Amino acid sequence: MTFTRRTTLQWFATATALSLANRGVAAAAVSQAAGAAPPFKVVDWPASVAPMLAAKGYGRDPDLTAPKVPWPLTLTKPQRATIDMLGDMILPADGASPGAGTLGVGAFIDEWISAPYSQQQEDRVKILAGLAWLDAQSRVLHGGDFAAGTAAQRATLLDALTVETPSAAMAQPVAFMDRLRNLFVLGFYSLPEGKADMGYIGDQPTEGPYPGPTPEAQAHFAALLASLKLSMPSSSRA
Amino acid sequence: MTKAAPKFADTPVDVIIVGSGAAGGMAAYTLTKAGVRCLILEAGRDYDPQAEVNMFAPESDAPLRGTGTADKPFGYFDATVDGGWQVEGEPYTMTEGSDFRWWRPRMLGGRTNHWGRHVPRFGAYDFKPFSRDGLGVDWPIGYDDVAPFYDRVERMIGVNGGPIGLENHPDSPAGCLMPPPKPRVPELLITAAAESLGIPVRAAHTAVLTRDMPDKVAPRSACFNATPCTRGCTIGAMFQTTTSLLPMAKATGKLRVVTDAMVSRVVTGARGRATGVEYVDRKTGQRHQVTARAVVLAAGTGETTRLLLNSGEAGRGLANSSGQLGRNLTDSTGASFRAFIPGLAGRPRYNEDGIGGQHIYIPFWLYEQQKRGELDFARGYHFEIGGRFGIPAEAALPRVWGKGLKQAVRNASGATINLTLRGEMIPNKDTFCEIDPTVKDKFGIPVLRFAFRWSKHEVNQVAHGRRAAHSVFKRLNGTILDPDLPPEQIMTAGGEIIHELGTARMGADPKSSVVDSYGQTWDVDNVVLMDGATFASGPHKNPTLTILALALRASERLATRLSSGALA
Repeated sequence: MTFTRRTTLQWFATATALSLANRGVAAAAVSQAAGAAPPFKVVDWPASVAPMLAAKGYGRDPDLTAPKVPWPLTLTKPQRATIDMLGDMILPADGASPGAGTLGVGAFIDEWISAPYSQQQEDRVKILAGLAWLDAQSRVLHGGDFAAGTAAQRATLLDALTVETPSAAMAQPVAFMDRLRNLFVLGFYSLPEGKADMGYIGDQPTEGPYPGPTPEAQAHFAALLASLKLSMPSSSRA
Repeated sequence: MTKAAPKFADTPVDVIIVGSGAAGGMAAYTLTKAGVRCLILEAGRDYDPQAEVNMFAPESDAPLRGTGTADKPFGYFDATVDGGWQVEGEPYTMTEGSDFRWWRPRMLGGRTNHWGRHVPRFGAYDFKPFSRDGLGVDWPIGYDDVAPFYDRVERMIGVNGGPIGLENHPDSPAGCLMPPPKPRVPELLITAAAESLGIPVRAAHTAVLTRDMPDKVAPRSACFNATPCTRGCTIGAMFQTTTSLLPMAKATGKLRVVTDAMVSRVVTGARGRATGVEYVDRKTGQRHQVTARAVVLAAGTGETTRLLLNSGEAGRGLANSSGQLGRNLTDSTGASFRAFIPGLAGRPRYNEDGIGGQHIYIPFWLYEQQKRGELDFARGYHFEIGGRFGIPAEAALPRVWGKGLKQAVRNASGATINLTLRGEMIPNKDTFCEIDPTVKDKFGIPVLRFAFRWSKHEVNQVAHGRRAAHSVFKRLNGTILDPDLPPEQIMTAGGEIIHELGTARMGADPKSSVVDSYGQTWDVDNVVLMDGATFASGPHKNPTLTILALALRASERLATRLSSGALA
C-alpha cells in the first residue's frame, strides 16, 4: 500500500497546525509566572527538613512471592494524622469509596517518603517541608496547627494550594500539594477500593480468545466515531 | 589461581554456549536436538519462573505499589532479578559526553524473562540498507535466506499476529501464526484516526500464545488474558527460554547448565583455534577453564564483544583482524507520545487486559516518500500502541482536590492513549564500545567503555514521529500531554531501549566484518557468535525474532560442521 503525496501533506498540515501551547491545565508545571496571590500573606518555605537516616532498599533480588518493606518509616504521629486528614480532604469519602485517609493510604505516603531511592528522597523533602509549611501558615492565619483549624480554614488553604497559576511565593507549596495529591491518587486507586471506584474490570484470567469490547463499549465507540466523523476501521469488523 | 573445572568437567562437551537468553537458548535447543553435547555458562543466577514469579499479586502488595526503583527499574514484580542497569561490582564506563545505558540481566534465560514480545520480521530492505540509501552496510544475506528460519521460529516459540501486506513488511506463510487477539477500544480509535490520515495499522506479531502449545517436556498454555507479561509467565504463554527451549534442551540429556559462571575470555590453542573458555565462579571467585570443540558466544551484544576484546593477544582482542569489533553499535530510537482524548472520558468499562501489551501497531509506511527524497531522515520507525483502563496519568488530571478529583479520576481512567516510537539507528563512527584501559570489575575483568551519539537521521526521525503521533491525537480532539521540548530531549538515551546491536557485524568480506553470515568469526573458525552483536544493521523492527532465526540457522550449520568432522 502506498499513499499519495496529497495524503502525506494532509497529515503533515494537520500536525503543523497543532499548537503545543494547546495543552490542558493538567499538564502545566508549577509556573513561576506571577499568578494571583492567595488571600493571605504566604509564610516562607521551610529552609530544610530533618536529614534522612541511613536505610537499605529491598535490593536487586528480593523475594517476589513475599514482598516486604524493609526501611523504617518517617512520619511522627501528628504528621501522620495530618497526612490522613489531608487524604480525606484530597480524596474524600463519597458514595463510591471511602476517603483516602480513612482507607489508610497515609501509610503508603509514609512508606514512599521513607524509601531510600532518589525519587522518593526528593519527595520526602517536598512532603516534610510541605507539612511544616502548612502548620506554619495555619499558625499565622488562625493561631494553631493545620489539624487544629476548622474545615473552612483548611479548605481555604487547599484551595490556595490548587490554583491554576500560583504566585511566586506559592510555587513551592503548590508543587508540594501536586506531589502529595499524585501520591494519594497512586496509593488510593491501586487498592481494591480505588479500583472498584474507577469501575476497573480486569486482573482475572479469561480462558479462550480475548473477548474484546462488550456490546455497550462497541456502541459507545461507534457513537464516538460518528461524532469525530471517522469511519469504522476494518479490523473491528472481523 | 586457575583451578580445574568442577565435577562436570569429566564429561566432555562438544560446544560451550555462553549465555542462556534467546540466542543461547536457541543454540542449546538446536544443538542438543542434533545430538551435540552442550554446556551453557550463564553469568547470572539460576532462575525458575514456576517458583519465583508472582503473577497474580496486585501492585498494592509490593513496596511503593510496585513502582520502579534503582533496585527494580521496571517495578518490584518485574521478572528481571539480580541484574539491570547497574550490577553490583560490575561497572561500565562512558566516554565524555556519552550517555549509554547497558541493561544486563544476570539470570538464567537472560532478557527473555522480561522483554517486549513484539516480533516483526525484517524485510528485504532491512537486509540491504546500503544498496537502498548508501548508508551503513548490506548484510551478506537477504530476506529469502532468513525467511525459512522465520517460519520455523514463529512456529517454535509461538507467535500470534495477522497479515500486514505492506512494503518491506513480509507476511508469514499460512500455519506460522496463531490468531491475533481482538483490538480494544483505544486501539480501534487510533486505527480509525490513523487510517483517515493515511497511516496504516495492523495486528502486531507478538510472542504470546493464543492457542495451547502441547509438548511432552515443556507444555505451554494459551494466554488467559490477565497479568503483566513482564513479571514472567508461569503458564508459558509468553515465550521465555526458561519455560521452553532450555527445559526442552535439558530433556535430551545432552545439556549441562552452569549458572553464576562469568566467562572472562575465550582460550585459544596452538592452531589459533579456541580450546574453550575461562570463567569466574561468581560465588567463590575461583577461575575455571573448560574445553570444547567449539565456542558459541550468545552473551548479549555488549558482553559477547567484551569477551572477544578481552581474549587473544593483549590489547588486540580475538577475531578482530578487521578492527570492526566494538564498532557499529546501535540501539533503537525511542520516544513516547500521549494525549488525553475527551471522547474516551467516562467510557463503558470492560476487561481490557488482553494479552498484555499492544494488540495492534503502526508499521513504517513511508518508504515511497523516502525513496523520492521527501523525508529528512533515512530508514524507518514504528509506533507501539497503548491506552487502557487504570490509574490516569498525572498529567491527565486537573489540579483540584476533593470530590472533583475523584470524579476526574473516574472520567480520565481509560481516556489517555499512547504512541511509542521505535526507530532505526544508522551506525556512526562516534558510537562504539571498547575496553576501558584502567577499570576492571570485581572479578578483575576489564570493563567496557561506551561512546554514543545519535546522528541527524535519528533526531529528524523522532521529530517526524512526533508530528505524526500528534496528528493522530489532534484528529481525535486530544489534549497532548507531552512536554514541548526539542527532539534531542525527548529521545531515549542510547541503550535505553535495550536493542543494542552490531558490534561484531556479519559481512561478506573479512576485511570489513567480524563474522560470516553463520556467525562464524573470520579469524577463529570454531568461535561462533549468535546474538545481536552480529547484526549488520539495526532496523526499527524489534530484534529478538531475527536473533532467534539467525541462531537457529547458525546452530544447524555448526551441528553439520561438527558432525562432518570439520572441527575435530
